Amino acid sequence: MTPTEASPARLNEKERRPDRAVLAIAVLLLILSGVVGYAAWSVSARSVAYGLGPTAFPAFVGGALLILSIGTFIAAFRNSFPERDHDEIAPVLWIVGGLLLQLALLRTAGFSIATGLLFAATAKGMGRGPLWLTVPAGIVLSFVIFLIFTRLLQLSLPAGPLERLIP
Amino acid sequence: MNTFDLLAQGLLVAMQPMNLLYALIGVTLGTIVGVLPGIGPALTVALLLPVTYRLDPSGSLIMFAGIYYGGMYGGSTTSILLNTPGESASIVTALEGNKMARAGRGGPALATAAIGSFVAGLIATLLLAFLAPYVVAFAIKFSPADYFALMVLAFVTVSAAFGDSTLRGLTALMIGLTIGLIGLDQQTGQSRLTFGLRELTDGIEVTTLAVALFAVGEALSVAAAGKRAPDTIEAVKGSVWMTASDWKRSWKAWLRGTAIGFPIGAMPAGGAEIGTFLSYSTEKALTKHPEEFGKGAIEGVAGPEAANNASAAGTLVPLLTLGLPTSATAAIMLAGFQQFGLQPGPLLFTSNPQLVWGLIASLLVANFMLLVLNLPLVGLWVKLLTIPRPWLYAGILVFATLGTIGANPSPFELGALLVFGLLGYMLRRFGFPIAPVVVGLILGPMAETQLRRALQISRGDLTTLVASPISITLLTVALIALVLPIILRMRGRGQVLAQLASDED
Amino acid sequence: MRPFIYAAAIMAALSAPAVAADYSIIAPAAPGGGWDQTARAMQDALQTEKISSSVQVTNVPGAGGTIGLAQFVNDSSGNANALIVGGYVMVGAILTNNSPVTLKDVTPIARLTGEYEAIVVPADSEIKTLADLVAKLKADPGSVSWGGGSAGGTDQIATGLIAKALGVDPTKINYVAFSGGGEALAAILGGQVTAGISSTSEFESQVASGGLRLLAVSAPQRIEGVDAPTLKESGVDVEIQNWRMVAAAPGITAEQEAAINADIEKMVKSAKWQELLKTRGWADTYLAGDAFKAQLDKDIAATSTILKDIGLVQ
Repeated sequence: MTPTEASPARLNEKERRPDRAVLAIAVLLLILSGVVGYAAWSVSARSVAYGLGPTAFPAFVGGALLILSIGTFIAAFRNSFPERDHDEIAPVLWIVGGLLLQLALLRTAGFSIATGLLFAATAKGMGRGPLWLTVPAGIVLSFVIFLIFTRLLQLSLPAGPLERLIP
Repeated sequence: MNTFDLLAQGLLVAMQPMNLLYALIGVTLGTIVGVLPGIGPALTVALLLPVTYRLDPSGSLIMFAGIYYGGMYGGSTTSILLNTPGESASIVTALEGNKMARAGRGGPALATAAIGSFVAGLIATLLLAFLAPYVVAFAIKFSPADYFALMVLAFVTVSAAFGDSTLRGLTALMIGLTIGLIGLDQQTGQSRLTFGLRELTDGIEVTTLAVALFAVGEALSVAAAGKRAPDTIEAVKGSVWMTASDWKRSWKAWLRGTAIGFPIGAMPAGGAEIGTFLSYSTEKALTKHPEEFGKGAIEGVAGPEAANNASAAGTLVPLLTLGLPTSATAAIMLAGFQQFGLQPGPLLFTSNPQLVWGLIASLLVANFMLLVLNLPLVGLWVKLLTIPRPWLYAGILVFATLGTIGANPSPFELGALLVFGLLGYMLRRFGFPIAPVVVGLILGPMAETQLRRALQISRGDLTTLVASPISITLLTVALIALVLPIILRMRGRGQVLAQLASDED
Repeated sequence: MRPFIYAAAIMAALSAPAVAADYSIIAPAAPGGGWDQTARAMQDALQTEKISSSVQVTNVPGAGGTIGLAQFVNDSSGNANALIVGGYVMVGAILTNNSPVTLKDVTPIARLTGEYEAIVVPADSEIKTLADLVAKLKADPGSVSWGGGSAGGTDQIATGLIAKALGVDPTKINYVAFSGGGEALAAILGGQVTAGISSTSEFESQVASGGLRLLAVSAPQRIEGVDAPTLKESGVDVEIQNWRMVAAAPGITAEQEAAINADIEKMVKSAKWQELLKTRGWADTYLAGDAFKAQLDKDIAATSTILKDIGLVQ
């Protein structure tokens, strides 16, 4: 989606140009409607002996999404969506990166290291650092949480090299 | 022996010092695990059940009851303070509760949730003790068509959470319904919208979606706002306790929430969420302060929280009287009973009265413990809000992912958390309401299942949908709830048009 | 934080010291379900009887057990300490989900427990005997709505087998799937469906209290303590068991397989396991080695045929 580039420049103008970000949403809804419709059509065993089959509900949802997509197109041209403030992209990327890092490292590096990195990345995204301090802090915090939940509450969490240090 | 004697005897056992300690431990553990976003009461009980194996039967039962109520309660704390529902039944709590917390009224919100839970738990547990056989006779008469009518009513009430635009509200709802389609079709076992991914065959967990949309989406949204958002918010404005006016506005909501939550919890296919939806829209319809709804109305916390706890006791009605585990939590409780070689069912009340009354007494004690434990902590919980924003949200994400990893340590779940988190951010950015998405995911599959069951049993005969007094009543109420606001709006049209005109500027 | 310290002290005193795991068992289901309970019972018995010094249970829920199965096959190949719990439901789930990993990819060790299916009607139903139900089914198959567990599971497979045995078109069976045992039971008790079909234990207490009438069970012989004829003796040639099993990793040597077999046999014969079976109400249907493998192949073939006949698998 491209809302952030499209919107801020336009916000200052009062003239009636279609809201491009909202147009993009309308297109997305249209695509979603198509996907749901296709899913309804592609279910392998479609017919049932009695009542409604597995495709009736997807067909309904697909139809409703189509109508809402049209409604959103109209809304885009009437500019009836609420005004948006300018959003910063860098903090969002830090957090998304942190989540991706945790996801990638969880199995190999274990809960504490993976989650500690997420902690540091989130803090960094929101303007706190430095990483050389927050990363170890996050790992220690996650390790304490790991101990509490696995030892006392018997929750099973993925262990890595760090967790294996303690018996 | 009559009911009172049995209950008194059960209470005597439950009040022994050692058993009180077990209750306290159970409530504490249940609250700690229940607070984790993504781990609801069912999983809390399942995870902690082995802890109770090591005690004697009565101690184990008491700790178990504590864990159950603690798990139920834990979810509301994070809902209110951090806008991160711990489980699906506290999603509605977040709507008003979090707004209150941001306005410095987190203390009263937590207090009304705790006291409301206590009041509802107390009344509902007593109802369970004295009325269970009658309630269950009513509950099993609900046919699939009646359930469908109930779902229709619940759908109508969702519009209470639509916010200021019907278009965006409906879109959010439809996105939820679409997500609800993912997975195996319950009636035929065919996979829909799974795109060949095996991980999608069980569908999207409500808790995963809720945690992603609320917690992750919120964190992204706050981060994107950058310097616009203040670094900390004022945790306490006015009193940390409930004022006289808070009490006045809460107590009726507690009672109404209990009255709605208990019977729906007792229904085999009811579930705690529907009770909270209905309670929220009831409070919104009846309030004297409609302008506060959406901005932090205390009734909107008091009612759903009471409904949520009342339905927890309601779930025990079919479990104890018929041996029907009607929710995931009840199914796990069944496993808990079986460790004592106890088979819940119609004979339980006569064959094992001591244990049944012991359990009911334990629930009362656990309920009381919960209040004792949580009220003094309200002041402490509220302090959470004074943590500077970066650390607070970093902590939220740690706990949100911890809940998800603890429930199912698969990279796929974490991926889903990220994808839906981004969805939550986008929805916020464009002014779409969040709650209808989750509500659509909960209600959609239920409504579809019940409608198709009804039509399958009737072999396609549509009149089955309006064949019983229950379904006719429910559909009529739904129709009134749908049409009445439109009529009212038509009468006040001039005003609305004026508002529209001002919107266009 | 005071209560938490108490909790910590008690928990620490109660929990056993962690030792290197002898066996790690995958329960391909969420905590609390049947497979999870089986895995935890095995853990209990193996440790109590000192057959293994330490047993770890990991839950890998999802898609009728096929996600756990796939992970087991991928991660544990050749590992003689790895076990997985499974059951008949997995056979159907593999077929309906088109799972690329099947039970052929693991080393089946033994069938541990099993439950037979029971057919019930509400006490006030006009159907008094299985013969009544059969007559109604033959006259108009759609008029009998069956309430049971999830689509493609043991319960629906049983209705398909019954239809076939009676010469009724299996696609015309009016089977209404319910998500859990409790929901199905409520619908049967409330008279929402004509008949109910599920594991014997699901209906046990309702039959005892007179809420439901038990028409037949799917066992080869009459079950001790259950007052109902078998389907076979009533002229419906159907026998089906919802079993649970334990399997080992693929790629282990014959000696390793024999060692696991010996351990499991020791466990099944132990007093602790027998006691656990009794408290849980599970029937001991232990079957090991080649006899189990042959039975498994038979079950897979029969299930595949019937799922195609019902129309759930193309």
